[in-house]
Amino acid sequence: MLAAALTNLPDEQAAVVSPDLPLRANLSARENIALIPLYQKHYDAAESSRQAQVLLDRLGFADIAEKRDPDMSPSERFVTKLARALILKRPKLVIERPGAMLYDIPYPGFIRELASRVDGSAGMWEILDFDWNHSLYD
Amino acid sequence: MFKNLHLKVGLFVITVLVLALGFLVYVLHARGFFEQRQHLNLAAVSADGISPGMPLTFSGMPIGQVTSVTLSEAGGIVIKSEMSQDGAKWVRTDSTFTLDKPLVGGAKIKVSSPDLSSPRLPDNATSLLLVSDPTQEIPVLIERVKNILTNVEHITRKDGELNGTLANAKTITGRMSGKYGVLEGVLGSEENARPVVASLKNLESLTNRLNDVSAKVDAMLAKTDRWLFAEDGLSEQSKQSLALVRAMLTDAQGSLKRVDALLKNAVDISANVKDGTQDIGKLRAEIDDAVRKTNDLLGDINRMWPFSKDVDMKLP
Amino acid sequence: MEFLLNIIERTGAKTVGWWNASYGVLRFMTEVLSTVANPSAWNRATLDTIVKQIYFTAVQILHVYLIYVTAISWVIITITLSTARNVGLFDAATEMIIRVLLLELLPFLTALLIALRSGSAINTEVALMKVNNELDALSHCKVDPMQFEFLPRIAGGVASVIGLTVTGSVLTIILAYLSIYGLSVTGLSSFSATISSVFSFGVLLGLGLKCAFFGLAVTTLPMAAGLETPKKLFMVPVSVLRGMMRVFLALVLIEVLSLALKYI
Repeated sequence: MLAAALTNLPDEQAAVVSPDLPLRANLSARENIALIPLYQKHYDAAESSRQAQVLLDRLGFADIAEKRDPDMSPSERFVTKLARALILKRPKLVIERPGAMLYDIPYPGFIRELASRVDGSAGMWEILDFDWNHSLYD
Repeated sequence: MFKNLHLKVGLFVITVLVLALGFLVYVLHARGFFEQRQHLNLAAVSADGISPGMPLTFSGMPIGQVTSVTLSEAGGIVIKSEMSQDGAKWVRTDSTFTLDKPLVGGAKIKVSSPDLSSPRLPDNATSLLLVSDPTQEIPVLIERVKNILTNVEHITRKDGELNGTLANAKTITGRMSGKYGVLEGVLGSEENARPVVASLKNLESLTNRLNDVSAKVDAMLAKTDRWLFAEDGLSEQSKQSLALVRAMLTDAQGSLKRVDALLKNAVDISANVKDGTQDIGKLRAEIDDAVRKTNDLLGDINRMWPFSKDVDMKLP
Repeated sequence: MEFLLNIIERTGAKTVGWWNASYGVLRFMTEVLSTVANPSAWNRATLDTIVKQIYFTAVQILHVYLIYVTAISWVIITITLSTARNVGLFDAATEMIIRVLLLELLPFLTALLIALRSGSAINTEVALMKVNNELDALSHCKVDPMQFEFLPRIAGGVASVIGLTVTGSVLTIILAYLSIYGLSVTGLSSFSATISSVFSFGVLLGLGLKCAFFGLAVTTLPMAAGLETPKKLFMVPVSVLRGMMRVFLALVLIEVLSLALKYI
């Protein structure tokens, strides 16, 4: 049901953070994020890299820039995916099944904290989670 | 690390570019792109075996190549060739140009300059191309050898004249040593007498034919000798091959001469019955030997020049 | 009757499968070509990745490649020379070495080496990207993997096959010269004459084109095979197997075609 709802969302409107949309495994966190300004918005390599680093700094994870996917902890991986979604600058940001990605920390609080750090450039956030996790967000 | 990587790749790419460019320049240089080329036109009767790219050689070293072969207005063949300045210095006004088509390997135009003090040939000069081609003569030689062998085969065939003659001779000698001795052998019946006359006639013609064969072999040898000792006639390899042919032909000739002598003996059979009966066995062996040797010869010739036509030679 | 029907059905399934695969490869090729023709694809970042790919495909194995070329060339040159000497065709030995080794064997072996080393790696990587959803993630981000994943590998592959063949060929020419004439310059003029008679401009162009097609085959075919992989991890080895088989067939086909064009 969740998957069906997601596929109905047009890509242009929502940036999705999902366990089904992994990072490019052989690129570092910064390179993963920089791909978007580099190849979609046609900035040059240095500028794209700088934008990616700025975003990581703002999220408070500046030191994971050189890490690749297999070396990251679940929260670091989540942050990279989130940064990649943020840099798309789409009106809506959808986090799908956060529990599947952030299984090692109390994630509603973690997501709230991240959201507060990038406040102003984020647009509308939407979290899709299972019914039985509803109480976690109170 | 990234910088190091770029350095290595840069080094590799530059090396490859330099090598590729260097090779291109080398090929251009080898093709004479950078130097003044001297042109030479050769007139020939036939363009047979001449193709663009064929080398011009002086003393076995390449000095130029054929660039095009065209038909002139007058119907002759004009072979355009070019040489490097370095190679052109070997070409003089009295140089001769010979098309050399060896039995094995590619054809080439041989340049011989007997007098290197004579003036150099000017650019775009025209000269005559001579043709020396052993491959055109060899089939003729083979044809002759085949003729000889066919003759030998004809003589010694199972149902051939020689066998019949020998059988008859055997019968006669058998009768002579029989109850009625010489009388039956000589008189016998008419049926018996006729083959004797016939075989004697046969033997006569056979001897003549063998003489022919010998004469042919001799002619062949003379021709072979001419080739062997002719100047500029043949390439070294062909000379060796022909020397072999000569040796083999001499061998065959020797055998045939022995056959000849033996047959003469057989003709004298009535005069010398005892010797005759002994010789008949020997004769047969000799003929077999001759045929075997000539067979070997054909095999050898075929092996050396694999362009033989179908050769069919069976031992009787 | 049922047996016959079975055979027909199987043949049909095979044909359709073969057709789909060829169609996939062709579509991928046209996509590659349209990206190549697009000037905006050739930015600094693409060039950087191409450099990286050339490093991984060619520079990293250069020393191994040169050792291997030396060994093979030396053996074949020695055999050709001694055979030529025995049958009295020594004059033709240089041309034989150049024609067999330089024009045919070396490009083919180089392409085979790149296919074994980089082609299989590319196939596995693309198949894993497909199975792991990485390609979906990229398409969600509206980033075309063609430009930074596929094109650099293809360009790198083509450049590597050409570059390695050039280096190997020069090495072989030097080896051939040394084997025939030794350390003297006396044979240079006749050696040059043979080289110039073999390497007409048509032959040089054909050699370059052949190497380029080899490079194209050893990179695009594994990629196309990787992209075809169903999203199941156990299908990755099957995909590599299929891709490499296609690469081999394509290499042989290119070689046969080039020979046919040259000598028929």
